[in-house]
Formats: sequence, C-alpha cells, structure tokens
Amino acid sequence: MAALESPQPGTTSAMRHAFGNVLSVLILVLIGVLAFSIRLFSVIKYESVIHEFDPYFNYRVTQFLSKNGIYEFWNWFDDRTWYPLGRVIGGTVYPGLTLTAGTIWWVLNSINIPLSVETVCVFTAPVFSAFASWATYLLTKEVKGSGAGLAAAALLAMVPSYISRSVAGSYDNEAVAIFALIYTFYLYIKTLNTGSLFYATLNAIAYFYMVCSWGGYTFIINLIPMHVLLCIVTGRYSPRLYIAYAPLVVLGTLLAALVPVVGFNAVLTSEHFASFLVFIIIHVVALVYYIKGILSPKMFKVAVTLVVSIGLVVCFLVVAILVALVASSPTGGWSGRSLSLLDPTYASKYIPIIASVSEHQPPTWPSYFMDINVLAFLVPAGIIACFSPLSDASSFVVLYIVMSVYFSGVMVRLMLVLAPAACIMSGIALSQAFDVFTGSIKYQLGGSSNSTDDAEDTSTSNAPKDDASASKTDKGEEIVKERSSKKGKKKEREPADKPSVKSKIKKKALVLPLEASIVALLLLIMLGAFYVIHCVWAAAEAYSAPSIVLTSQSRDGLHVFDDFRESYAWLSHNTDVDDKVASWWDYGYQTTAMANRTVIVDNNTWNNTHIATVGTAMSSPEKAAWEIFNSLDVKYVLVVFGGLIGYPSDDINKFLWMVRIGGGVFPHIKEADYLRDGQYRIDSEATPTMLNCLMYKLSYYRFVETDGKAYDRVRRTEIGKKNFKLTHFEEVFTSHHWMVRIYKLKPARNRIRGRSKKKTSSGSKSSKSAKKNPWV
Amino acid sequence: MSNKIYFLVLYVLNLIFTRVGKGENERNESDERKKEILIKIIDLYVVFAVFTALIQVAYMALVGSFPFNSFLSGVLSCIGTAVLAVCLRIQVNKENKEFKDLAPERAFADFVLCNLVLHLVIINFLG
Repeated sequence: MAALESPQPGTTSAMRHAFGNVLSVLILVLIGVLAFSIRLFSVIKYESVIHEFDPYFNYRVTQFLSKNGIYEFWNWFDDRTWYPLGRVIGGTVYPGLTLTAGTIWWVLNSINIPLSVETVCVFTAPVFSAFASWATYLLTKEVKGSGAGLAAAALLAMVPSYISRSVAGSYDNEAVAIFALIYTFYLYIKTLNTGSLFYATLNAIAYFYMVCSWGGYTFIINLIPMHVLLCIVTGRYSPRLYIAYAPLVVLGTLLAALVPVVGFNAVLTSEHFASFLVFIIIHVVALVYYIKGILSPKMFKVAVTLVVSIGLVVCFLVVAILVALVASSPTGGWSGRSLSLLDPTYASKYIPIIASVSEHQPPTWPSYFMDINVLAFLVPAGIIACFSPLSDASSFVVLYIVMSVYFSGVMVRLMLVLAPAACIMSGIALSQAFDVFTGSIKYQLGGSSNSTDDAEDTSTSNAPKDDASASKTDKGEEIVKERSSKKGKKKEREPADKPSVKSKIKKKALVLPLEASIVALLLLIMLGAFYVIHCVWAAAEAYSAPSIVLTSQSRDGLHVFDDFRESYAWLSHNTDVDDKVASWWDYGYQTTAMANRTVIVDNNTWNNTHIATVGTAMSSPEKAAWEIFNSLDVKYVLVVFGGLIGYPSDDINKFLWMVRIGGGVFPHIKEADYLRDGQYRIDSEATPTMLNCLMYKLSYYRFVETDGKAYDRVRRTEIGKKNFKLTHFEEVFTSHHWMVRIYKLKPARNRIRGRSKKKTSSGSKSSKSAKKNPWV
Repeated sequence: MSNKIYFLVLYVLNLIFTRVGKGENERNESDERKKEILIKIIDLYVVFAVFTALIQVAYMALVGSFPFNSFLSGVLSCIGTAVLAVCLRIQVNKENKEFKDLAPERAFADFVLCNLVLHLVIINFLG
C-alpha cells in the first residue's frame, strides 16, 4: 500500500481511502494503548515503585528539579555522593529524561492534576513507548508504506527487548531515548524523501533531544554519515541528500555542544569525526557535480587533474596533522565505552569496571531469541524486501539493521538499539507477504483478472518501464554496487558517473495458488500469535521484577523480601544526616535516594581510583580496612549478603571484581591470593587471605547462629571460618532475611598509658607481601 | 574579551548582510531577472560567509582559542548560514528538476525558519 494519489472525492476509491485512514488512526490508538498496558505488569504484581539502581538516581534528580527549579538544577553540585569529591550534576548528567518528566509533572500540576513526582517518573516510560511505536509507524511508512508501518508499530509495541528497559518503574534514559532515536531517523528519512528544509530543521531539533537524553546519540551521528557515504558511493547523490545532511551536521554539532555533558566533546572527540569527514566529502561531491554541469567535458578533465593534484597535497598535510593529534592522546581520542564497542576485548584488558557490568557482556544466542523472538527470522525477509525496489530510505534501514546487529553482538545492552530496526524490517516483511497472499487470493477469487493485475502493478511500482530486461540489469548492477561499497571501498575520489538509478522496475503480479495462500496466511497469523504470547510472557515473568523487592513462591504462598527498603529506612531513621556510608558502588544511587545518606562511590563509576579504594578496603584485613575507611570519614559500611535465602547477586559473588578493580590500582592486592587452585571458594579450603578479608567477615559474622552449621545457600557449602569476632567493626543492623547488613566503624582506641606502640616504617604487619602496603 | 567582541562584530555583520539579501528580493519586478539576481546574491552570500569563517579561523590561530565556545559559535554560524544558503539555492534554482513544484516563497520561508533556529542556538552558545 504505497502512497496513492489523492482520488476524486465521492468515488469508491476515495471512500476506501478515507475508510483506510480512519482504520489506520484507530489501529494506531490501539497500538498505543497496547504499548502502555503491556508495561504495567510490575505495577500490578508489585506496586508503583522505581526499579533497579540507575532509575533511583534519575528519580532523585527529578525530585530536586521539581523542588528547586531549573536554574538550581543546572548549577547543582552534589556533595552527598563520591565523598569527598562530590559530583557536578549539571555537567555530568544527560538532562533529557529528567527535564521531560519534570515538565510533564509541572504541566499536570499546573492544570490541577496532583500527580506526585514518583508517579510521573514511574509512568514516563510506558507513555513514551507508545510514542515510540507511533514514531516507528511514521518511519516505516516513509520507507515502505502505511501497511508496513502499522505492522512495524504493532511489533515494536510488544518487542521484549524494548519492554525490558521501559517497564513502568524503569525510569532510565532509554525510556525517552529510543523514542527520540526513532523520531530523529523518521525526520531524516522524511527530509531525504521530500528535500524540504523545514523537516531538516525539525530533524536537527529532534537530534538535540536525543543528545540531551542518552549517550547513545553517537550511534545517530555515525550512522547517518555512513548512510550518506553509502548513497554517494552507490551513485545516489542528489540535492535532497545534501539538504538532509549538511544542515543537520552544522545545527546538530552546535546543539550537541549546548548540552553540558557533551560540551566541546562535540567537536573534539573521535566519535564525531565521521560526521565532519562526510560533511567535507559531500561538499566536494556537490562541487564536482556543479562544476561538471557548467564546464565542457574536456575542461572538466583538465580541472579535475588540477584539483586532484592540489587536493591530494593538502589532504596529506591535513591527515598528517590529524593523525598526530589523535595519536597523541592515549586512546586515540575515543572514550572508554566507545573503544570497548569497537574492540570488544579492550575493556576486559584495560578497564575492569566497564568489563564488570553485566549489561556490557556480549549476548548469548538464546538471548536473541528471547529478546526479539520471531523477528529474528523475519528480518532477513525484510532485508530482501527492502531491495525491491531499493530507495534511499530502504538502504538506510538496511544499514541501520546491519550496524545494530553488529553492536548488539558486542554488548547485550545494545540489543535495545536492535529492537526498532528488527521491528521495521519484520513489519516490511510481514506487510509484503500479506500483500502477496491477499493479492493472490483476490486474484484467484475475483473473476476480472486483468483489472486487478493492473491495479496491483500501478500501485506497487513507481513508473512503468518498457524494457524489462534493462530494468533487470539495472537492479543487478545496483545490488553489485551495494555489495562492493559494503566491502569497504568507500574512499572513491571520482563520483559515480551514472545518475541516481531510481527504481523503475515493473513488478510482475506474483500470484500463488489459492489454497497455498490461505494456508500461508493462517500460518503467518499463527506466527504473530506465538510472538504475542511470548512477548506477554516475557513482560509478565521476566522483565517486570523491580529488583528492589524480591518474591518467591513457596509451599505457604508468596514470600516477599523487602530487605533493601527496610535497611535504607533504618539508615535514614537511625543515623545522623551527615554520616557517610560505604558500600560497593552498585548500591550508591539507592542509598542516596532512599536513605538520604552520603555515599563514597555510586553507579556513575566515573572515578576508578575511588572505587578501587573501596574495593581494596573490602579485600583487606580488618585493621587495614578500618584505616582506609577512617581516612574517608566513613561511619557505616553496608554489605549485601544472600547466603541465608539464596539471593545470588550479593557482594560475595561480586567480590572477585572488587579484588580485580582494587588490584588494578593498588598492586598489593593480588587476585591469586584469594583463589585456591584458581577456584573461588569460601569454604574450609579457602585461602587465609580470603578468610581474613573484610568482605568475608562482614558477610558471615554470626552466620553460624542461623542454623548451627553456617550453610551458605548460594555457594552451596558450609563456610570456612565460622566462629570469629570483629575487632574494628560492630554490627548495628541486619535485615529480616539477612540480606543487608550494616556495620559501624568502632572509634579509634585510646593510647595505652605507659606503653606507646612504635610505628614501624614498612608494612611488615601485613602477612601478604613484602611490598610496601600504603594502608598500614 | 576582545575575542568575544570581534566574533560579535562579525556575527552582526553577517546578520546585516542577511537583511540586505532579503531587501534585494523585493526590489526586482520581473520573475526571470529576479530569480537570476537572487541566485547571484545567494552565491555572493555563500562566498562572504565562508570568507568570514576563514578570517575567524585565522584570527583564532593568531590569538588563541580561549573562549572556545565563542570561536565555535562564530565559525559554525558562518558555515551554517552558508550551508543554508546553498540549500536555498538548490531549491530555488530553475534547473533542478526535483524541486519544480516547490514555490520559492516556501523555500525562503524554510530558509528563514532554519536560520532563526540556528541563530537562536548561536546566541545561546556565544557566551
């Protein structure tokens, strides 16, 4: 169902047209409602609460924004975290999400709908997922037509990968960023198709919104230049391409530089260089086309040789300077996260923190099927459907899916970027398949074969071409060019001499036997049904856990573990406002948001040395750890322990990462000291270093009192050291199921009268190594 | 401080030239001549804008890039208006088959809108 010309009013085709429009709008409204409601499982099963860790930070920032206004927010210096360093919130947070939610809250409150900030935050993600499905409809409509658009929108509303990051309560950047991503792509394609500067302006503004929302905006600013390059190389250069790209680069860079997080990185880091390079290339190409139009062919050749020789010299100089600049920075100008995307082994070698986050691991094969389900085998069909006919827009979505498949293979978190591309492709495939099958059924059933034939033809081809063979060779050459460009020969200096080949292929009416069509239709509908069942199951069972409240089914009904909130509440009621709490960085955001206490490290993980300090403290024996924590003014230490109930994400399981990160900065911590024969154990075979370290002691203090045998349900073994006392810490709180344990630092002992301990210069007290231990 | 003033002066000159360009539009009567002169004006404007950008880069090379945001906004405003003028030229040029049915008034309105957004951002970023 490509775009039809506006028919005469009053005719049957006009009626059908109008009816189709009304039906489309109705379907879109239903898709929006579906996208919203499928994400409400966690609110129904648990309560309207913010999930996970990162959303708590965003929630706290939004609270601050709603209480103090935008000027305070821009200039906010947060001293309740990363003690004693603090954090400049205005300059290090992507403001899009918080400003969006803050605006919604403010608008609603000013028209006297008194929703609390928490409610707005919890429900922001489902609302924006409805918007995202509508944006997908618009994007796919630009590529293939409204039928494909509706299919793609319906698929996106339900795709589990997107649900996982946008359930009600998951108040994270991706909630609005995916909507901004799809909408920016839609505006780009719209500008490409219409050549209107108005849409180019809107495109730049939408890109600005995307930069405000998520660090993944670098995907856009690299994908669009790649696509422009692809178009130039395959001979599809047109003035519309220039209008679509050039204003976006200039306006986009300026707007990106406006956001404080990005600032001058918009022109200085390697992530943006691709856009500038292609900006220069498109100007060269445009100039060449312009001059070619003016000069005669011989003059043109002379001019070309002249310009090329001068240009090469200049180019060498510029490239040499650039390479020198880039090589002078240790990472070649790329940030750590981007470099770990390009070289998947980089993080595990150099930045253990990035490697330790479970979201940054490569996905397994089953996770593809879990996250995009049926779409995984509809995508190749969609790619083929995009090639007939190949237009600028469809080459863009093909490039999009190829790039996102690569990046999703590097980091499981980026499956989220794959989801819209997969939905678009599958929508196109489904829509084409339905077209063919229903066309066949109509043809077989309808007696007037010829008229239906012609109608199908004119509606699915751009312009009929007389010579079918010539069109076929054109198509073949297009595909060959496509492949050769994709093989990496991108830097061709002379532009393609052929004018842009518009797809003028006459589609033969593809007619299948009646029974086959009906069976195929039924099978497709069943496929859709399986997809829906899987999505609803994934949303209900797999992705709706708020992870701050745990449940388990047992013989006597549902058991709820609310230990986290219990302990944060204890902290906020039983400690002073200025007390500092040390824990592993996972719990930093939650502690500041819910317990309202200053923390040492939190999930922002911007300072590796500070995190390594905490990790070293957790890995050291009690006295050394006490020294470290005392030097940081820490009063309370919080550990998470899952051994009593079998909660697998506790600190003992994360302990090796603490050792690795600490050992990366303080060389006296060696991972091998904590492993027995390369195995990580905490039972009687564990190394003495392991049994003496702070994490072990704080987790298992008095654990033997629970069942007399100190059986750890997560590690499935009895622990090594069962009866011990703490010398430098005292236990102040253990939650109901022993999940969170809080300890207080004992004050320094007074000097013993008459006997003063002589301080030894080298750290000979520590039994580990002869190297100087800076903490003793 | 002097950098800021210099960039500001150049930017204002830029603005004035834009207004002059718009004034030229209303003066000519016949459609053909109007279009031809318009194209020539747009070309001249593009050359002027690029030239201004080059002057700013040379100035930065001499004096140093201290208020980097001022430098960036100055240069990008020149390049931005040049790019937008080229887009306008593409859309208004009679020889472009793809934009046959686009009214030049609409093209100019788009151009003005985009310039507005650009200059709003520039003023914000100029610091």
